[in-house]
Amino acid sequence: MDVPARAEAKSKMLRILLVEDSESMRAFVSACLDQGATQLGEVELIQAASGFDALRLLPRGRYDLVISDINMPDINGLELLNFIRANEKYRDLPVLLISTQSSEKDRQRGLALGATVFLAKPFSSEQLVAALRAALDGAS
Amino acid sequence: MVDSIDKAREEFFSEAQEIIETFSRNLLALDATISEGVKDPTLVNEAFRAVHTLKGLAGLFGAVAMGTLSHHLEDLLDELRLGRTELTRAVLDLLFGSIDVFGKILVAERAGSEAIPPGLDELVGRLRELGGSVAPEPGMVTEYELDPGMLAVLTEYEEHRLRSNLEQGLRLYRLHVKFDLATLDKALEEIKDRAKRHGEIITYLPTGESSSIETIELDLLMASHDDLSILIGALASERIIVEEIERKPQLPAAFSSRRHPPAVAESILSVPSGHPRLGEETADLALVSPDRSLRSLTQTVRVDIRKLDRLMNIVGELAIVRNVLSRIADRVRAEGQPQISSELLRVHRNFERRLTEMQDGILEVRMVPLGQVFERLSRVVRQISRELDKEIRFVITGSETEIDKLIVEELSDPLMHMIRNSIDHGIEDAAERARVGKPAAGTIALNAFQKGNHVVIEIEDDGRGIDESALMQKALRLGKIDLTDREQLSREEVLSLIFLPGVSTRERADDVSGRGVGMDVVKTNIGHLGGVIDVQSEPGIGTKMTITLPITLAIVSALLVKVGEQVFAIPLNSVSEALAFDGRGVRVVDGRELMGLRGQSLPLCRLARVFDLPEENPSGRKFVVVATVGTKRLGILVDYLIGQQDIVIKPLGKSLAQVRGFSGATELGDQNVGLVLDPAALVEEVLLSGESAREKGLRAHG
Amino acid sequence: MANLTRVERRGHLRRAAAAGPIREFLTFTLSVDLYAVELTTIREIVSPPPVTHVPRAAHDVLGVCSVRGVLVTVVDLRKRLRVAAPPASSRTRILLSKTGSGEVVGLLVDEVRQVIRLGAGEIEPVAAVLGGDISAHVLGIGRPGNDPIILLDLNSIIGA
Repeated sequence: MDVPARAEAKSKMLRILLVEDSESMRAFVSACLDQGATQLGEVELIQAASGFDALRLLPRGRYDLVISDINMPDINGLELLNFIRANEKYRDLPVLLISTQSSEKDRQRGLALGATVFLAKPFSSEQLVAALRAALDGAS
Repeated sequence: MVDSIDKAREEFFSEAQEIIETFSRNLLALDATISEGVKDPTLVNEAFRAVHTLKGLAGLFGAVAMGTLSHHLEDLLDELRLGRTELTRAVLDLLFGSIDVFGKILVAERAGSEAIPPGLDELVGRLRELGGSVAPEPGMVTEYELDPGMLAVLTEYEEHRLRSNLEQGLRLYRLHVKFDLATLDKALEEIKDRAKRHGEIITYLPTGESSSIETIELDLLMASHDDLSILIGALASERIIVEEIERKPQLPAAFSSRRHPPAVAESILSVPSGHPRLGEETADLALVSPDRSLRSLTQTVRVDIRKLDRLMNIVGELAIVRNVLSRIADRVRAEGQPQISSELLRVHRNFERRLTEMQDGILEVRMVPLGQVFERLSRVVRQISRELDKEIRFVITGSETEIDKLIVEELSDPLMHMIRNSIDHGIEDAAERARVGKPAAGTIALNAFQKGNHVVIEIEDDGRGIDESALMQKALRLGKIDLTDREQLSREEVLSLIFLPGVSTRERADDVSGRGVGMDVVKTNIGHLGGVIDVQSEPGIGTKMTITLPITLAIVSALLVKVGEQVFAIPLNSVSEALAFDGRGVRVVDGRELMGLRGQSLPLCRLARVFDLPEENPSGRKFVVVATVGTKRLGILVDYLIGQQDIVIKPLGKSLAQVRGFSGATELGDQNVGLVLDPAALVEEVLLSGESAREKGLRAHG
Repeated sequence: MANLTRVERRGHLRRAAAAGPIREFLTFTLSVDLYAVELTTIREIVSPPPVTHVPRAAHDVLGVCSVRGVLVTVVDLRKRLRVAAPPASSRTRILLSKTGSGEVVGLLVDEVRQVIRLGAGEIEPVAAVLGGDISAHVLGIGRPGNDPIILLDLNSIIGA
């Protein structure tokens, strides 16, 4: 890798906010990102265990993308998305929503609220990486 | 990176376990509601949710069997929550059955086995029969249309809860709250608590208004039977505003009232795409330095007990370092350097203080409430009571009592065996209970409390008590006692006969509980944990077993003694005193040596003889360590007393399992290892009877 | 496996690849004979630290010792296999292995030799050549050179 490309790669470190209440899901997504490192470049994964934690973290940092589960207790993914889109500061943030296979309603509402991409459970690491790239490309 | 996937899998197993346990607790609560004739829709919803989550995770991690079972359970639970299937005892039993199958599936998954656990197919078959199709009927009763704005941010699950609440005629409220981020968790817990008494909070919607770093504003959607005035009285405050959401569909902005800035209302109501702006400007946000990456903010960490053991090991090694430091200080003083010596001692004292703090800290992390194992027992009780067709009332107290996690893990088996014995042999069947005027349901009470450095667990039943004469007959027949013993044994000693191998099992295995598990096994297991067990019984009234356990296995204070060249450690919590011994005042009665101690006889035990060790100076000066176990005392004769030391007891390996008399080994410094005596085992061995004990010892010697 | 030192193979041990996979064995002596166990079953080799006698343990259990804080049950392999047990020398070593139940067992041997590689063709199955209890623990006889090496099944010996 020659020098200019390396410098470029460094500045391209992706900061992703993952909002997911299930600890094993978080571990799984993290593992998927490890596997997709070659295609995504350097990724810094910041994890939030609830919508509340996400609300605490959002104003405090710069994020390139948000991955959020739809079905979480208390503040669900749709509500979080709504909050993000309603907020001048982050309204253009690419948001990837994780949904369950069966819920068409959840997806429709997500689309209506402005989700960038959907990923249905269960998914593989390849699918996650592809979805992330789609979300990031769409945003640029 | 195979590593991180493996870690994720480990997380999955832990989480699946937790979810299954939650599901189980849920079912127990449901069981209670059936008995009490109450209906609690939230319970079924929670069960549904648990199973649904499990299904999702199983799919992600390729756990096929788990996914299949969850899927079918989900269908059934969906039917239940939609009211299309009734929750009968039979259905509940089926659900309970799934917990065991889940357990087996989890074990198989963990071991990487592809094998399908037995019972899965049958269970799935029965679930399918009950489950049926889950397509919602188009003509569902809805008194009115829900506002699309409200629906836009609800997940399908939440919408379902909302509808079911409305169908039952509850009213809808919006609680507008403003919390400080710093105290958010506590404030949330508080409002959830208070709201729980009046209804159900369906969802939390962050409003776009205040997105400052300090505070957060939310709209809570709540359903309640109570009217507005009551809710205002119960919940409203300067930070919480309660408003009712009108039922009539004509009010379009039901969920977003005038309180919201129009911008947010717009965002909720605009169904097609679009990123609406906020009318008002949000507060200027001071950005915290971006390279401070904030990870998950959850308060608790799941800890692998092996990591704690490693930490404990290190503390143990530091303890040895500390001892070396003190010995060096002594040497330095002896060589005429008092100044340096005092400095060293000061360092030593400081070190000691910090080490104790750290030790306490780690021990605290190892402590878990007994409730963990008690809850599992509830399920077992239910199962056994159905199997044996006896109605049982299971009362638990003291489940918050804490004990070392490793002990807890080993406790469930012995406790389960005792409870099974209690239900099987202790509690009479309904007819007999009626005849003797006892309530139809037998009671088993499980109580736990802390007593000094020990935890006491009591299991008491109101059954028929232990039949002493039958017990003695059996012991006689098995040759455990002889006819003279029969006359001479005290009541307590007779009852303790149940702890002899073979005595507390059935002659013939019966269908339901087989031979039963011998109390000798239970006693041995408890012994391995450093505990003792006692039994009391009154014929016709009941039986009570008392287990006394050390709070922690990890670090104990011990008295180091020497027999010949070998060092042993005796846990101090069993030692009441140690004295010099000169051989005077020793009598021999029935082959046992006794000495007088303050007017009472103390049986003696020469460690050198018991362990076949070279004895130094058999008639010379020795020391007696008085060990107290329960109500029994024993004087252990050793050659030297070395002193007191904190030790970390490590268990002996399986290949040494048949060696009786030790509860483990500990490191003494300089790589030397000392064996840790098990006073309870010694007491039992010596007091049982001089002869047979020695025989036993010799047999084990192999 | 920090303590393992591998010695170079001697010339005559290099054979044409025999049928079957090549397995590595650690050879050692017990009294006058040469034995070996599969390398993968050994975690570590240590010089014997002080071993504490455990009263009432089986006759072939020397006792317990501590290796970096881990409790090890030490078995005198010579006694377990019922061969002569010469007095300890400076070359005596303990081979550490772990059983299925998590117990660390150490086997006392007279001298550790080297690591050798054997193909399936260099291992003779044991017909009733050796009598007594030992045959239960023997995998076969290795003949990389002239001298026979008795290949032991470690897991069977420690009761894994």
